[in-house]
Amino acid sequence: MILTSLILAASPALVPPPISDLYAIRARRAEIGNGEVLEHAVILVEDGKIVTIGEDLPIERGIPVIDLDDEYTLMPGLVNAYSRTGLSSQGYSDSRPYIKASFEVGLGASFKSAREAGVTTLGLYPAGRGIPGQAVAVHTAGGSDPILADSVYLKAIVANNSTAKRYIRDGFEKADENAKKEAANKEKYDKAKEKAEKEKDKDKKKAALDKLGEYEPHEPDPRGQVFQDMRDKKLSALFDLDDAAGYLHLIDALGKEKIDWALRLTLSQESNFYEVAEKIGETECRVMVGPFLTLHPGTLRQRNMPAELARAGAKLVFIPRNDSTGAHQTWLRDVGTMVAAGLDRSAAIQAMTLEPAKLMGVDDRVGSIEVGKDANFLIVNGDPFETATEVEAVIIHGDVVHGEIH
Amino acid sequence: MTTLRKLLLPALALGLFTFTAPTFASGLFQDDEAKDEAQDEESEDGEAAADEDEGDKTFVIQGADIHTGTGAVLRGATLIAVNGKIDEIGYDLALPEDAEILDATGFRLYPGLVAVSSIGLFGGGSPIEDTVDPFSRTMTLAVAGGITSTVQGSEVAKLKRGHIKDIVIGSRPLQSMSYSKSSPAGKRSLREKFDGAAAYIREYKQWELDVRSNKDLKEPKKSGVDSGALSVLLGQARALFNADDRTDLLEIAKLAQRYEFRPVIDGCREGWTVAADLGRAGATAIITPRERRSQDESIMAEGGSSIENAAILYASGVDIAIIPGTKGVSLDGIAGRDIMHLPIEAAFAIRGGLPEDAALAAITTVPARLLGVSHRVGRIEVGMDADFIVTDGDVLHYATFVQWAVIDGEIIYDKEDEMYFAHIRPRPVTELAPVDPVDAGEADADVVEPPADEESDDEDADEEPGDEPDGSGDGEDGDDGGTASR
Repeated sequence: MILTSLILAASPALVPPPISDLYAIRARRAEIGNGEVLEHAVILVEDGKIVTIGEDLPIERGIPVIDLDDEYTLMPGLVNAYSRTGLSSQGYSDSRPYIKASFEVGLGASFKSAREAGVTTLGLYPAGRGIPGQAVAVHTAGGSDPILADSVYLKAIVANNSTAKRYIRDGFEKADENAKKEAANKEKYDKAKEKAEKEKDKDKKKAALDKLGEYEPHEPDPRGQVFQDMRDKKLSALFDLDDAAGYLHLIDALGKEKIDWALRLTLSQESNFYEVAEKIGETECRVMVGPFLTLHPGTLRQRNMPAELARAGAKLVFIPRNDSTGAHQTWLRDVGTMVAAGLDRSAAIQAMTLEPAKLMGVDDRVGSIEVGKDANFLIVNGDPFETATEVEAVIIHGDVVHGEIH
Repeated sequence: MTTLRKLLLPALALGLFTFTAPTFASGLFQDDEAKDEAQDEESEDGEAAADEDEGDKTFVIQGADIHTGTGAVLRGATLIAVNGKIDEIGYDLALPEDAEILDATGFRLYPGLVAVSSIGLFGGGSPIEDTVDPFSRTMTLAVAGGITSTVQGSEVAKLKRGHIKDIVIGSRPLQSMSYSKSSPAGKRSLREKFDGAAAYIREYKQWELDVRSNKDLKEPKKSGVDSGALSVLLGQARALFNADDRTDLLEIAKLAQRYEFRPVIDGCREGWTVAADLGRAGATAIITPRERRSQDESIMAEGGSSIENAAILYASGVDIAIIPGTKGVSLDGIAGRDIMHLPIEAAFAIRGGLPEDAALAAITTVPARLLGVSHRVGRIEVGMDADFIVTDGDVLHYATFVQWAVIDGEIIYDKEDEMYFAHIRPRPVTELAPVDPVDAGEADADVVEPPADEESDDEDADEEPGDEPDGSGDGEDGDDGGTASR
């Protein structure tokens, strides 16, 4: 906290108004992030964490209070779980699931553009095709330690070609091989040890045992290890699909493997994901999509794929239209368009806050306004989904990192 | 004559080989029918196993004129498919409970069409099950054209929209070969391959006899024997030649008779000039009736293409398969020449004199046989896969549309649900739309109603199922009423 403040203070571009370690925010209307709206909300922030939250709570004298204008909305800082903001390196084009985007996140990475658009948490994925590797979750306040959690998901691209399926099947096969080799290794060691134990001559026995030493596990194949981690639920997968057929091929490739996974659907002009929307909905998985209205193939009939998926039972996770600064700035407005076109409003709010946080497994810290979570807020001057609404201020860890609060 | 030959050849083969070497015959020298039976048994076993796991999936289509593809037509009959296989065909059948029922009264039911070659209907990748796009426009349009099975690359598969599993039903059915006057060296080489393969088979059979008395004898070496020629001589694959020229056709006929195999000839445009020779050689011709070829004026004999080609060849005992000139779905240029107009292409052979049943066979049973999948598709028969199309008229008529396509007892295409042809002569929704799974008695309750007034009839049809919870008792009455109303 102190470190963050120091660095922010040192940066001339940002002039964070000094707020005390303990303060309260009073808002006429607060979107909690879990779909609920709190009227006349009072939120107490201490040391960058949310400590109390309630409706019309009395505030102790002496605690500084930020009173938001009546038309303002307070909401959790947005979470974009799929971005390359601040990263630049080239990726590989094959299967390297052990590569981590966190390697690329250095001191220099700047998340300013995202932060100013109200995005307080980013999921950074490794570049590349095939299975490029594992994503990392960061906060966008800047500073020397932006990482919230590493290995938040494995990105894997599943086009409907045999290569993509092979990568997935190979990964699990390698995990099997690892387990087999490890078992063989252990058995070999145990047998040798048993033999040594049986030795009657004490000196010889000791020498043999010394020679054997402690058990050293077999060095696992790193590719297989990643897939084993997924089986052990230490890692989840985010599968990139570009058409409905890809979903069937993914399910086929996974076979009986039980892993945690989410989907990222690339919506193009004539996406046909509606063909599998019911099936996807049944799994109740998280589905990451951009805020796009598509056309029914061959027609000019609009389809709201995100809304259709949400209705079918999928949990939506929105990402901006693309990874540019502009798309981050219009993100709320773009999602507003989807709401205007029939998407459930509460699902839309969650899809930009709590759901992406859950997807990355960082919902214990970010994604909603709840006691114990980081004090990451976005303050907008109206309904967040109205076209004219603009970002007034962004707060991360209790500090105003963008905009001003009167 | 064709039938006679068909019966004779396997019989001869069986007699010869089973006598000398029973074990060999059941494996390597397996003939088509034996294979059919073996596979039927397998699939039945598989079904039985599946039955125990979960309930039967039953699909019923009633009221359609069933064109079985074997010559018979059952007017207004009922077809019951259980777990993707045709279980019963006939009249007054007891409908299982929880069956999905499609009322197709007034429509015709044909076997799903089989395209003997195709490009890009599955997406073009290999293997099909790892690359197919079962939602593609191409696949939908091909199914709208009536095709339910075809071959891509070396795999024979079903155009089962929405599915990627269990769609491949065969592989490597045809062995491509070249035997043309343009390459004398190639001709010699092919003859040598057949000589080698024939010699190997002779040696192998001799060894099988000898090894009984002398166990030390070594099996003849297979190395150096052309696997393609061997598979053709063993009847495991059909030899496919691409030839149009009459001289080439004559040469192929001679080659086939010399080595005793039945050639498949793709193109065969001058086939009508040498039809008798091709017939004697037991050839099957894959024909595009609309394709033209000009006569070689330097040759005195008849030549060039003829619209009567298919008819003349057929009359000489040549099996005819028909395929359009464009093997993929084409949305450019003049419509009606690509694979989604397979029945239209067959209709052009009728124009040239081919009997209508032969034209239908040319896009169902004959290609199914060529692709080695005739034990599963191409005919409407008990035990076959429940793959069929329901049309609003003669499938070979240009005005006809496929209304529904069914694969493995599942509706995978409904004209009214796809945007391509739904607007053309829309189906009357109230009477003929597929109804939800209902009790057998209730389904018949619709039929019993005397058609007094169109409107009130419709209303009754809507309300009846809900009003009569104990429909099972009325089941028999319903059947009678249904028959009477026809």
